[in-house]
Amino acid sequence: MGREFGALAQARALARRPLRILTGLQIARTGLRLGFAAATALVFGTLIMSGEVSPMVAAAAPALLLLAALAGLALDIVQARAETALSGRLRAAVGARLDAMPARQVQALAAGRLIVALQRHPEAVAALAVGHRSAATMMAIGPLIAAGALALVSWQAALLVLALTPVMIVFFILLGGTIRRRAQAQEEAFGHLAGQFADRVRTLPTILANHALPAEEAKLGGRLSAYADRTMAVLRVAFLNAAAIDFFSSLSIAMLAVFLGLGHLKLAMIPGFSGLELWQSLFILMVAPEYFAAFRRYAEQYHAKAEGEAAALALDALMQAAPVAAPVTTLPAALAPGALPRSGLVVITGPSGAGKTSTLRLLAGVDAPAGAAPPDALPGPVSWIATDAFVPGGTLGAAIGWQVAGVTSPRLMRAASEVGLLNDALLPGGLDAGIAEGGTNLSGGQRLRVAIARALLAGGPVLADEPTAKLDPETAAGIRRLLAEIARDRLVIAASHDPALARQADRVIDLVRPALPEAAR
Amino acid sequence: MTAPTPSPAAQDAGAAASRVYWRRAALLALAGMLCAVLLGGLSAWFLGAVAIAGLSTAALTFNFHVPGALVRLFAVGRTVARYGERLAGHKAALTDQVARRVGLFRAMADAPATRAAGWQMADQARLSDYLDDVEDLDYARLRVGLPGTVLAISLAGGLVATAIVAPLALVPPLALLGMFALAGRGLHRRAFVCWDAAKAERRDGAARLGATLAAAVPLRAEWHWSRQSEAALARFDAADGRLLAIRRMQAGLDAAGGLVGPVAALSVIGAAWLAGGRGETLLVPTFLAFAWLALGEPLQGVSRMLVAQIRRDAARRDNAGWLRPAQAGATAIAAPAPRRLLIERLQRRAPDGRPLGLPLALDLQAGRACVLAGPSGTGKTSLLKQIAGWTGNDTMRADSASIDAAARRAMAMYCPHDAAILADTVRANLFAPGRDDAELDAALAAVEMSGRVAEAGGLDGWIRQEALSLGEAQRLNLARAWLSDRPLILLDEPTEHLDAAQGERILARLLDRLGDRIVVLSSHRLDGGLAETIRL
Repeated sequence: MGREFGALAQARALARRPLRILTGLQIARTGLRLGFAAATALVFGTLIMSGEVSPMVAAAAPALLLLAALAGLALDIVQARAETALSGRLRAAVGARLDAMPARQVQALAAGRLIVALQRHPEAVAALAVGHRSAATMMAIGPLIAAGALALVSWQAALLVLALTPVMIVFFILLGGTIRRRAQAQEEAFGHLAGQFADRVRTLPTILANHALPAEEAKLGGRLSAYADRTMAVLRVAFLNAAAIDFFSSLSIAMLAVFLGLGHLKLAMIPGFSGLELWQSLFILMVAPEYFAAFRRYAEQYHAKAEGEAAALALDALMQAAPVAAPVTTLPAALAPGALPRSGLVVITGPSGAGKTSTLRLLAGVDAPAGAAPPDALPGPVSWIATDAFVPGGTLGAAIGWQVAGVTSPRLMRAASEVGLLNDALLPGGLDAGIAEGGTNLSGGQRLRVAIARALLAGGPVLADEPTAKLDPETAAGIRRLLAEIARDRLVIAASHDPALARQADRVIDLVRPALPEAAR
Repeated sequence: MTAPTPSPAAQDAGAAASRVYWRRAALLALAGMLCAVLLGGLSAWFLGAVAIAGLSTAALTFNFHVPGALVRLFAVGRTVARYGERLAGHKAALTDQVARRVGLFRAMADAPATRAAGWQMADQARLSDYLDDVEDLDYARLRVGLPGTVLAISLAGGLVATAIVAPLALVPPLALLGMFALAGRGLHRRAFVCWDAAKAERRDGAARLGATLAAAVPLRAEWHWSRQSEAALARFDAADGRLLAIRRMQAGLDAAGGLVGPVAALSVIGAAWLAGGRGETLLVPTFLAFAWLALGEPLQGVSRMLVAQIRRDAARRDNAGWLRPAQAGATAIAAPAPRRLLIERLQRRAPDGRPLGLPLALDLQAGRACVLAGPSGTGKTSLLKQIAGWTGNDTMRADSASIDAAARRAMAMYCPHDAAILADTVRANLFAPGRDDAELDAALAAVEMSGRVAEAGGLDGWIRQEALSLGEAQRLNLARAWLSDRPLILLDEPTEHLDAAQGERILARLLDRLGDRIVVLSSHRLDGGLAETIRL
């Protein structure tokens, strides 16, 4: 395993400060809501019993309502901002980790999974570290505040809702176990059926190519139904969680209403429920559900928890992948930093697996952290010519002139025509030919020629990996001529099988196959 | 191709079942809402009534059993109805989901884009985006339609009751609701724009990051890596920024929504008092006021409905592309199977439809495999797809009969170079339901996959794309060609990802087996050696 990434630990550390603010706002909002409940209960209680209400109280009710709403607004916005900021920080941490990775390790990553992970996972981890955490904190504080408010009026009523809580928690524990067991059984029996729709959409052309559409369609319908049935079996238990909170909240209202009613009728002397004013009874009735609200909000975060934990694990797995060993670690003496000429064509030849490409990579320092040149590499950026050259989206002209300083239109024209891209039947439109993001509409040969045209315009040394392979003989001859031309005043090092290119070289370095074969590239 | 499955009758049954579940969910949701509203109103009324009765001897005759029992009934009813609503709603949504997804799969299969160059859903980021869209559609009714309907009905009920009990009290909540509706419409428009932009930025970021990762080595060598990867990640951050803007709007909407119930409650009691209500005459307004408090609760989360609606609309629009008119249906294979396909002038075309080079004459015969050779990027795959009838509408001849693209689609087994492995059993992956185990085993042996398949648990072992190497996937793909009964077999780069000797061995066996079919294969490695080579 590589160095620990710890997405969740990083997120938790970053979330500490915003969580303090969030908790403060939560407490303020709860206090204001309780204040509103008290004022409203007073309005109703005194109006019914005496026909009058103090103007102060009548004004306080809407004012507290508004303040509570504003506190809620601030709470939502602070939480959203904190989660977004945290998501950006996590993404940047992944970016920094990628910068520090050797290029061979970056290449070994599952690109599709990494892209999806960077798109969505930081958000999910942030929601777990901020939103879910804040709801969990509030589950501890919120009910206590509500119970405290109840106790101000009747400590026996507070005790009653407090006494319901352990019962509810025991219920949750029992339920939680059942949910986990069901979900696990579901995962074992039907886990392989999850994602069948996605899988069949992904493989659709293969299904069509094999004339399997009717069979696969019928199978898909059956499997989706089976999976939906099992999902319902899990939901039936999972929804009991919310139902339990609903039940205890409803139960507390029903019990309190009856006790308080008997107290008012003076039919029974129940300590704490007799001799209360109407407003006090109404206040108890309004606050009791508030006691359970924090539990409900926490239960609603169930998905955020599951998703956040899965996202954090996925990010860790990607970032902590086992290091990929370097196939070649030392340069041949002839290529050592001091031994290279300032200009000329150097061709590295040798059988497949001798480490030609790895030697080029070593010279370019690509397996060092981004933007740093290790001691045995060439001391600065080079032009890299290969079929995997980077091609930005846009036009052919922009792709050739990408990141080259001071390019003029005539020079672009010349470079493009030198590599035969101006009259390429497969890429019509000259310099204005459209290029998809990442050059996905280009063939390997076309990308290679874009890279050569760029190298013609740029300064500095050139490293070329198999520059004439996969090309037709005519184009290959043109490329050889261009490399020789660049080599007149710059250093060009090419790894190549091509004997014709080796004949043109000022220096040929023949690598012999090492004891260990070159690792899969 | 056979008739689409599931049968129309089964589909109707499914639709009928889903209607029943939706109706049940709506009724339960309304019942739950009614219980919650009555629970709030009745318990407040009850306390007021007993407090007044307690002042006099009426306390002794006050029947508190009925209201007490009703309070318990509504309390239990609220719990049960909400649980039932959740279950019925999810059952309905899942029932619809199955039908919708099968329908979408069918529509995608019929869309011409599926057979054109480069399957976009093979890209994980694109597939994830698409699945998000599908899910937004799957759950739209549960997240928008159902709660929206219940909310509208209960609000209407509350307003009617208020008009009867204290008409003057209608003014504040109506004003608030009116402002709310106006603001909601504006927010809807702005949030939709934000969501759209966020989706586009995510897509763009994914494309950029994909290009950056694919070019990791050149970018590192040229010292452009950090800037490129930062630029790609910045697109994701920009998308997050848009989503933050939506969440701000949501926060405002929810804060305003939460005001409606309490404002209505205070208005009702205030209006009743101003109208001269005192003592017992205030009990009914109290009932209504506390009912409003319960009624207003769902409005605290109304923004979630708005967002679900926006996502549904955006997903519907983005998915519409897959529902364009289908390609002409495939016809039956001409019998007897043709042993020769001819065309004098086949205009080769690039994936975007541009003509490539001069027209080509093809004479494809059974038993004489034809190799399309040439360096990368010369259009070998495009030509194979044209021959397969997947693209273009060229007509070829077989003896005297003319064979159009649809007919060739029906008679061709096209074996793409990036053929996918389905998450399924090995047997299902071979696509040969009519063949017995011995034949399947022989095919696997021919492509040197017997050992690997035994490791995976035999013919009924479950395999996934990620569990196989590229070479193993390629060999399994060739086993599909081995087992195919189609008269025209098209192999794109059959030896790619295989080492040279193994590739030659397997290809020789495969061509021997397919001696009675018309076989065309492409290769940038093979050149000559086989009966016929066309250089592109």
